[in-house]
Amino acid sequence: MATGTAVSLQNVRKTYQLGEPVHALDGVTLEIPRGTYTAIMGPSGSGKSTLMNLVGCLDTPTDGTVVVGGEDVTTLDDRERTTLRGTTVGFVFQTFNLMPRLSALENVALPQLFQGVGRSTRRDRARELLERVGLGDRTDHMPNELSGGQRQRVALARALVNDPTIVLADEPSGNLDTDTEADVLDLFDEFYDAGTTMLVVTHERHVAERAERIVHLLDGRIERVEELDDAGRDSDVAQGQRDGVDGTGAASGADR
Amino acid sequence: MRPLEFGRLAWRAIRSHRLRSALTTLGIVIGIAAVIAFVTLGASLQAGLVGDISPDDQRNLYGWAADPDTEGGPLAGAQPVFSQDDLDAVSERDGVDAAYGYMPISTQALVYEGELSPQSDGLVAAGPPYIRPDTLEEGRQFEMGEREAVINPAVAGQFEENVSVGDELTIALQGGQQTTVTVVGITDTSEGLSPFEGFEPSPRVYVPTDPYYTEEVESATAGLGGENASENGSSAGGGTGVGEDALFLAIVVQAESADDADVDRARESALGYLESDDSDASELLGDELAVTMQTSTELLQQLQDVLDLLQSFIVGIAAISLVVGSIGIANIMLVSVTERTREIGIMKAVGAQNRDVLGLFLTEAVVLGVIGAILGTALGLLVGYAGTWYIDIPLVYPYGYVALAIAVGVLVGVLSGLYPAWRAARTDPIDALRYE
Repeated sequence: MATGTAVSLQNVRKTYQLGEPVHALDGVTLEIPRGTYTAIMGPSGSGKSTLMNLVGCLDTPTDGTVVVGGEDVTTLDDRERTTLRGTTVGFVFQTFNLMPRLSALENVALPQLFQGVGRSTRRDRARELLERVGLGDRTDHMPNELSGGQRQRVALARALVNDPTIVLADEPSGNLDTDTEADVLDLFDEFYDAGTTMLVVTHERHVAERAERIVHLLDGRIERVEELDDAGRDSDVAQGQRDGVDGTGAASGADR
Repeated sequence: MRPLEFGRLAWRAIRSHRLRSALTTLGIVIGIAAVIAFVTLGASLQAGLVGDISPDDQRNLYGWAADPDTEGGPLAGAQPVFSQDDLDAVSERDGVDAAYGYMPISTQALVYEGELSPQSDGLVAAGPPYIRPDTLEEGRQFEMGEREAVINPAVAGQFEENVSVGDELTIALQGGQQTTVTVVGITDTSEGLSPFEGFEPSPRVYVPTDPYYTEEVESATAGLGGENASENGSSAGGGTGVGEDALFLAIVVQAESADDADVDRARESALGYLESDDSDASELLGDELAVTMQTSTELLQQLQDVLDLLQSFIVGIAAISLVVGSIGIANIMLVSVTERTREIGIMKAVGAQNRDVLGLFLTEAVVLGVIGAILGTALGLLVGYAGTWYIDIPLVYPYGYVALAIAVGVLVGVLSGLYPAWRAARTDPIDALRYE
């Protein structure tokens, strides 16, 4: 299992100029060690999305530093940020966001296309991942031929295709029914157990409780960090090795 | 990202909107097809004309007298002004190898072995050199002063039995007189031998000006003042007495060689005499008429110029259709970019660079343009082929233009796709992912 820091935010501010300045993030310091499972909760407008965009290298902070996979995002230009995003971040969205005209296999292979990976290598890798998410028999289906749960599995496979440092999931079960939600979240657990760093944004407690800690955001600041023990997490996955998590990289609200 | 991958994704996008893509390319198809069709026709027409000038013809100068303002091809507005004396004098001039008159004679019919074939104008009177040796399929030139004729294959094959060298042919002239000629030669083509005749194939009998033309003039003037006499009278002004002689509608001057310098020398020499007071022609020319003297190539050049002008005009109109077509592509690409904002966001989120997105949309526009160009070229060639078949000229494929059409397709694609693709490339992924 990889050790070290996957994502580190130091005193990050993000201010939007909408007539008057709006502080979407107002001094956030957060460290996410590799191999951990973090959930971010908070009401609308608390800065969840902004935080996601910053960690996902889609945006740059107004102030402070964001380090993803060892690279300081604030010092990178747009192109370098895109490369960093493509290689170190995997996205899972609430609305799945699959390319409608590409098959499941092609959707999973898409990120590698932009990294210049050859076609046959891409397809082999994509097939392998689809098998791991249980869709080995659906590789050539188009997104509209798949159920919501299956689509989200494809999206998860796509997020993992470049061996990312961190997987960002934005309300991954928001569009799924309870049963399917459990299936997809079980899959998250599976990859987490295999060493993948997970960051899930959600406003649902039972989704957040799958993580080993929950960061509560309020008005652009970290309100509190809730550490969950194995018992707090659901009992379905036995947790053995959770070393190097507690204490060391604990998030803390700044400006307090 | 590789070009092939762009192509694959672009093709996917185009195929998913079949009807829309087809309608979008239609403008390009029509534009390119129009250009290719007209260029094919033009090139074929040109080849049909230029192909008719034989190297031996290059030293012949074709002259006629007309109002200098007259527009048109050879013999347009021509008045008969050249007398036999003029022709003789010109042939003696420096740099002139030979000079002879040219006169189409109206006929009623040709008769062979008792079989009559109506023929309104198939008789051409000229000097023996008019039948160039390279145009003779068999036999020889006619001789001046003899009742001999050279016929073309159209005449030879007109009767039940083929006319061959040595046969006799009876010609019924406009005035009702009949004259009999001995066929001494058959040409290899039914097309005209000079620009005077035009180039379309038709039955023609070539005879020496003496005796055929001189006789006809004599009989016409001896009769009721005849058409030639009245024609002469109108143009001759005060030139009485000249009308008694046979006047030729046109003159053919043969230079010593096809060399440009020799041709120019013969031209200057002949024109110098004809415009001097020594000639009979100068009397008839007066102030209104001037002698034009040009080679086949020069005469064709005029036709060519008109053809070129017409072609540029049509190509211009077709180009407008291309502009409209590219606006169509640009428009549909802009719609497409807006429609696929979310897809652009997804691609950027998973690591697509701006240039990847730009390349993707640009490729799509170029593919549309190239498909339009290919279909347009095929359609244009088909129309061109049908056209040349219809007007019966040899088909010449303008290969250069086919390459150009494809290049234009690419160019149209790039130009019309550039702005939409640029818009797509600079789409903010955060906004795009939120786009509904």
